[in-house]
Amino acid sequence: MTAVVEAEGLTKYYRARRGLEDLTLEIRPGEVFGYLGPNGAGKTTTIRLLLDVIRPTRGTVRVLGHGSREPAARARIGYLPGELVLEGREKARDYLRFLGRIRGGVPPKRIEELAERLDADLSVPMRKLSKGNKQKVGLIQAFMREPEFLILDEPTSGLDPLLQREFLSMVREVRVSGRTVLMSSHVLAEVEQVSDRVGIVREGRLVAVEDVSALREKAVRRVELHFDAPVPPEAFADLPGVRELSIRGAALACTIDGRPDALIKAAAGFTVVHLVSSEPDLEEIFLTYYSEAS
Amino acid sequence: MIAKALGEYRRSLVGWSVGISLFLTMYVSIYASLREDPETLSKQALAKSPGALRDIMGGMEDVATGAGYLQTVVYQLLVPIMFIVCAMVLGNRAIAQPEESGTLELTITLPVDRRRLLLERYAAMVVALFVIAAITFGVLVAVAQSIDLGVGVDRILAAHTGVFLLAVFFGTVAVTVGAVTGRKAPAMAAVGVWAVAGYMVVTVGRNVEAISWLKWLSPFHYYGEGRPVYQGLPTWDYLVLAGAAVVLALTAVLAFDRRDVGV
Repeated sequence: MTAVVEAEGLTKYYRARRGLEDLTLEIRPGEVFGYLGPNGAGKTTTIRLLLDVIRPTRGTVRVLGHGSREPAARARIGYLPGELVLEGREKARDYLRFLGRIRGGVPPKRIEELAERLDADLSVPMRKLSKGNKQKVGLIQAFMREPEFLILDEPTSGLDPLLQREFLSMVREVRVSGRTVLMSSHVLAEVEQVSDRVGIVREGRLVAVEDVSALREKAVRRVELHFDAPVPPEAFADLPGVRELSIRGAALACTIDGRPDALIKAAAGFTVVHLVSSEPDLEEIFLTYYSEAS
Repeated sequence: MIAKALGEYRRSLVGWSVGISLFLTMYVSIYASLREDPETLSKQALAKSPGALRDIMGGMEDVATGAGYLQTVVYQLLVPIMFIVCAMVLGNRAIAQPEESGTLELTITLPVDRRRLLLERYAAMVVALFVIAAITFGVLVAVAQSIDLGVGVDRILAAHTGVFLLAVFFGTVAVTVGAVTGRKAPAMAAVGVWAVAGYMVVTVGRNVEAISWLKWLSPFHYYGEGRPVYQGLPTWDYLVLAGAAVVLALTAVLAFDRRDVGV
């Protein structure tokens, strides 16, 4: 099977400013690919290159087997822009139908189903939609044609937690049906729940592509343990993967690189009253990659 | 795509048609009462107005006749200005305005060839201008006949075709500059400068030897030199206007197809 995205040496400069540098990436059919990075790292640049909104300075990209300049590729893509702008007096429903017609037809029932699922009111003129409702309209237009390839740029921005969950289940359904998703985000938590692989981009460069499970192992977590009595520091000295260890009486705090196994086994000798493990934060994962690179 | 763009233009279309029609109705009707009192429009009375003003208004030679009045009040300056502003506004809506606001982002990722996207949005502007021209032509003919202006329908049609072509030309300038730069301000500047300079060259500047060659670059030369109100359709001049619009539109297609959108 041909790759959904095949980028080779893809580079984009905006005059002198770097947008993306030498991206080589393959996205395979049927996977959900999470594209992670802080704002301005090059995520949107990559996506806009795939959709032929902007043209590469160097390098090539093929999407669904087509050159990105061919409109045929875009007929098979559903796209949610990172900064979706909807304006005018036109009602959201009419706009969605227009988009559906241009893309080759979407049954009105399908639009209504999605609207109900996301709790979107489509009878409102677009300029009166709130940010959250605009995002819903954006999601509907991206999903409505059941495209082979979904490109979602920061899809959860503006959605409340309940809808974020609904959105993630929509993405899972897409994966189950064997279609492909590229989803960008600066929040690891939402990407790791649904992604098979994650690419991390920083300052225009793809610094890593990892299976989500592998990334989780590499992730740095902050862990706090509270015991029923003060513990001897020697018992926790030189544990593999444990860093920034501090023990104050009955409380232990540290960061863990990868598996927490060694720490858990060392703690098992004492009575643990309370355990706090914070979700790995993207920033810290970046720092891990940075320290590896340097 | 054309239908969609026309839908977006609907309100402006109605607004401009009504506005220009009202203007035409009011000013042309006044002629009926001015005619009763020949003093107002007599040569002596007009001689009092400053020479530069007369130049700008195209000489105002025979303003007392129906054709002269129509030429001076309607076709010389005011109605072309209204059409040009309208064309500039509509022309900017093709690319520059949606690109600046960000709505073009989704449109450009539809499975439509970029050249076609531009041409369809351009065609929508031409159609909208045509509708406004047709409606205002109808209104003008009705008013002219009701007050017995004494200018044949064919002459009005010839002059009105000129206004339409002039509007299409400047609309195309707006579309093209917008398609090249993606921004409204340069498009409006280009239309504004070209229109004002072009008008000055063929009116105040027509007797200045040093700049008289510039008239060949002025759309107003092709618009007014053939005196359509008096002499009927100036076919070749109009073809030059239309041809220039086509060349500009092709430039717009080529430029838009090559560049990054929304950067």
